[in-house]
Amino acid sequence: MATSLDRERLGPLKDSVAIVGVGETDYGSDYRGAGGKAVAKGEARYDSYTLASRALKRALDDAGLNKDDIDGLCVANLSSERACELWGMNPRWSGGGDAAQSIIEATMAINCGLCTTVALVYGNAQRSMNTAYGGSRVTGGGITSYFYYAPWGLTSQGALYALLFQRHKLLYGTTEEQLGAIPVAFRKHACMNPNAVMQKPITIDDYLNARYIAEPLRLFDYCLINDGGVAIIVRRADMAKDCRQPPIMVSGFGWSEENVDATQLRPRLKDFYHTAHRDVAAQVYPMAGVTPQDIDVFATYDSFSVHLLASLEGFGFCKEGEGGPFVQEGRIEIGGDLPCNTSGGMLSESYMQSWNHQPELVRQLRGGLGQRQVQGAEVAQYVHDVAGKCKSIIYTKGN
Amino acid sequence: MATPRPIRSMDPYAEQFWSYTQIKEFRLQKCSECGKFRWPPGPTCDRCLSDEFEWTLMAGRGKILSWTTFHRSYFPEYPAPHTTIVLELDEGPLFAAYPVKIGPEDLSEGMELSLRWTDGLDEFGDYNLPVFGPLTE
Repeated sequence: MATSLDRERLGPLKDSVAIVGVGETDYGSDYRGAGGKAVAKGEARYDSYTLASRALKRALDDAGLNKDDIDGLCVANLSSERACELWGMNPRWSGGGDAAQSIIEATMAINCGLCTTVALVYGNAQRSMNTAYGGSRVTGGGITSYFYYAPWGLTSQGALYALLFQRHKLLYGTTEEQLGAIPVAFRKHACMNPNAVMQKPITIDDYLNARYIAEPLRLFDYCLINDGGVAIIVRRADMAKDCRQPPIMVSGFGWSEENVDATQLRPRLKDFYHTAHRDVAAQVYPMAGVTPQDIDVFATYDSFSVHLLASLEGFGFCKEGEGGPFVQEGRIEIGGDLPCNTSGGMLSESYMQSWNHQPELVRQLRGGLGQRQVQGAEVAQYVHDVAGKCKSIIYTKGN
Repeated sequence: MATPRPIRSMDPYAEQFWSYTQIKEFRLQKCSECGKFRWPPGPTCDRCLSDEFEWTLMAGRGKILSWTTFHRSYFPEYPAPHTTIVLELDEGPLFAAYPVKIGPEDLSEGMELSLRWTDGLDEFGDYNLPVFGPLTE
């Protein structure tokens, strides 16, 4: 990036908005269905609007607000017009995208005076609709590498992350057993979360005995495919005190995309997307006035386990190539130095494409999560990295 | 009859790339102004934004960067196990393909492979697919 960051303009946005409400659907019970058996893919029970509407209602109730307090709307995986029509809203501003992007955009819109209170709403009936992320039905979503190599039989996001992990193994000697500590830890967290889809613990032997999908990635390195919705209410900080819950501040954010030669897989295989990670780190930590050592709870986008290795190395929690040893010995578990994906994440709680991480971090900072609570949590970080489209948010407890 | 394969992504530049494969020429676009190779094919040089280019014959050699083996079948044309590789071509670009005449157990980081051709067919027609195998068989 040739231009420099305008910290003078960015700085005052610290703590200018708060998360005042969060809502999620019943991931676990929706997944299991009647009789406790997992609902089959394609066995349509919901559409995305049903799930999004339910999450929105819960987030408003959590905040102690009603829908007429909402004057801005970001929707994801939904049509904005249809969503507004369903919910009886005529917003002054609307946006959309992934969770971190929506939080950053809502912060900008509120600070511009376009609106005061933004509902961010996501719904995805991907299990009901039997959504495919590999093979002949895969679509790009703006990412060409997802489908371009189909003539050679190379599609699926999982295979692209398998290539990344294989490269990590070759360069640094990282082992599959080391990687396995990540799904094992996230599953342990899911077992402390009654709303998580997965409730049965796994051991490292279970991990290693599970089948490969795209080798070297195994079954438990892959995220779930389940239905769900998430809603988040972002409100101007000075208005946040009127809400039912203690406000959780948006204290820092950063955004950087590493797209040059993306379809060639160069940033993925030659850089592990660290250029984007370092650029986001240079924004988010100074803005929030913290360093990686201050992070009490961490969450990363985890459609695949290996995302965590890349983001821990790229954001400076450990040196490049040392992610494998870093995630051992309970370090990333609740009670460890850096509890990661404490809800169970997308591997074991719910695959909400970044959205479920935000309510979890907010609740960790509010406190009172019982055995899942990270003791003394005051600073939480989310890292988003989908094929080098990197963002991060730092949340802190309000005063 | 050529071997059916999953559908190619087609645009005017990809069309040109694939038409060279019909005469078994592996050509990538090279910027006429700054000399950068690009892949996949496209209208513009990402380094200097020039739209002048030449379809340049590649040496057809590269070094292995990474590979993955599918143990689940995603395409009927490629039943599991199916291994795919990413190479760094001698001219610079990275190129994804699959290995021939070598099994995944014999692949290694930095191993040099060279171009082979195999036939292909999809709804856009017949073509030849560039794949990679050992330097000596």
